[in-house]
Order: sequence, then structure tokens, then C-alpha cells
Amino acid sequence: MSSNPHNPMNADSAEETLRLIASLPAPAGLEDRVHKALRAAPRGGRVLAWPAGFRARTVMQNHWMRAAAAAAIVFVVVGGGWGVYSRVQPGPAGKVIVMPPRAPDSGGFGGAGAIRAPQTLPGPQVREQGTQPVKQPAAAKKKIGSAQPAASQAAPQPAVSR
Amino acid sequence: MEIPTSAVNEEARQRAEDSAISALVDRYAGALYRVAYSVLRNPSDAEDAVQEAFLRVLRHRHGLGEVRDHRVWLIRIVWNIVLDRKRRAKTRPETDDVAELVRVLPSKGLSAEALASAAQHHARVLGCVEQLPAKEREVLLLSAFEELTSVEIAAVLDISESSVRSRLFRARNLMAGLLDHERT
Repeated sequence: MSSNPHNPMNADSAEETLRLIASLPAPAGLEDRVHKALRAAPRGGRVLAWPAGFRARTVMQNHWMRAAAAAAIVFVVVGGGWGVYSRVQPGPAGKVIVMPPRAPDSGGFGGAGAIRAPQTLPGPQVREQGTQPVKQPAAAKKKIGSAQPAASQAAPQPAVSR
Repeated sequence: MEIPTSAVNEEARQRAEDSAISALVDRYAGALYRVAYSVLRNPSDAEDAVQEAFLRVLRHRHGLGEVRDHRVWLIRIVWNIVLDRKRRAKTRPETDDVAELVRVLPSKGLSAEALASAAQHHARVLGCVEQLPAKEREVLLLSAFEELTSVEIAAVLDISESSVRSRLFRARNLMAGLLDHERT
């Protein structure tokens, strides 16, 4: 807008109008009506004023009284808060069913976050190809009909005499 | 205008405040009315605003002694009142403005036709003023008062003097554009 191509006469005529309105005379008797309104207005302020006896006191006394009043207000507020705090008892704990901790599953299906899951039997173990077979217990290796009984191998050696 | 701040006698103090307020009314009521009228453009509304301004002064009369420039202080009070009223008031039809201007503007030496034409021109100008942004409009309205310097306008609006000048410059440019647009 700074590079204004408009006719400056327009702005001048506009300001002339505003100046004309700004210079209009006030209506007659305006001051009297304002005086009348002021006389009819209540003299008191919006807040309660100090009583006349207190107003005559010195500044230091007024300060002391204000400080005392502020301290009393603080005391009442803090005391009330402490009274409420000290009377409030913590409520009873809610009824909660404590569930035993679940043992981690060794396999099979997952619990999927279920609260209760039935105990299931361990499923068959699948052996992968290329892995060593599971060692059988020693009793299973015994050949049927061998000459020496297995029990004799485990028999204690006879004592050697010197 | 001096109010004895250390007056012990309450009645004497009250009398001093009353006389100070009376002096303010006699001296500045007319100026405050013109400020109010320039915004509200209604005589009774403007007078109400002036009365409300002095009632506020009455409520805060204890602080009168601390005010440096009573004129700017009072204009600031009435300015805030009229802006608040203007904000709350419903917009009036433009024809009311024209009729009001015909009634109040000086008509000496003008024929009825010329007067009506002038009033329409003024109404068109005021319509353009209403289209200005609020900040520019406020500065333009206050600048029309010859008794207010840019420093005093800055004090009334609570802005810097350079802001007043830049806003006034923008307002004049905008007004010229709006009036050109109206004409075409």
C-alpha cells in the first residue's frame, strides 16, 4: 500500500469529514447534566471502606492490621485444608482375585493372553532330520541272550590276597 | 487540581476531590463528548459515555492526584468506554447515519440539495472508515482532533508514537483506495 497510486484528494476529503465531525459542538447543558449525574451517584466505592475510626490511624498501624488480617486469612485457609486432609481416611481396597502365576508353557499352543488356560499334556516331540537320535537308556541296549549277564559286569571284583 | 494527599481531615479531602472533579467536568466534558460522538455518532449515546467516564473518575477519585495529564487520561477513559459500547451495539443502517449527519452538520449558506449531497458524501466517507482495520481506524479518528498531538494519541492508545505515524500512513492510503473504489 505504500506505493499508493490513489488520488490524495480522497484521503484529504475523508479527513475533512472526520475533522468536521470532531469539531461539532457539545450539546448545551452537558456539563450541568454531568454534574447532576455525579451528585446522584453513590459516593462509596465498590469495596467496603475502613470504618472512620480505623481511617484516622497512622499508616504504620494500618500496615500492621493488614498484615494481621492477611495472616489470619492464611491461618484459616491452611487450617481448613489440614483439617480436611487429616480426616480423610484411605478407602478399603477393592476386591481383587489374585491369580496364581502361570508356569511358562513348554510347547504347544500359546495362551494368547488368556486369564485362565487349562493344563494340557505335553505334545509329542518332533525329531528333525540329521540330528543325533536320542540316547536310549542302558537297559535298552542289552542284547537278549548274551553269555555274560549284565549283572556280572557290574559285580564287584574279588579281593586280591597278598 | 492539587489534592492534599496527606490530609487528615477526611471531609476536607472529600471536598477537594469533589471540586477537582467539578473542574474536570467544566473543562473537558465538551472534548470528551466530541471524542465519543466521533465513534458512536449518536448524541445521546455520546452523552451517556461522557457521564459514564466521569462516574469512573468519581470511583477512582483517590488516585486523581497521581494523574499527570488529566486531559489524555480522561480521553483514554472515554475512548475505552465508546469502543466497548460500539462493540456491543448492533450495527445501525447507513440511512440513519445520513439522516443524523443532515441534522447535526452545519448548514449555513447551503441549499437543501447541497446539504443532502454533502451529508451523503460524509456518510460515504464514514462507511469507508468503518471498513478500515480497527487499529488504523482508531488512529485516523483520533488524528481528526486538532487538540491531540501524535504523542497524546500514542498515550491514549497505549502504543508508541512511531506506531501512530505508521498506522496513520496506512490508514490514509487505505482510505484513498477505498474512496477510489467507491467512486468507480
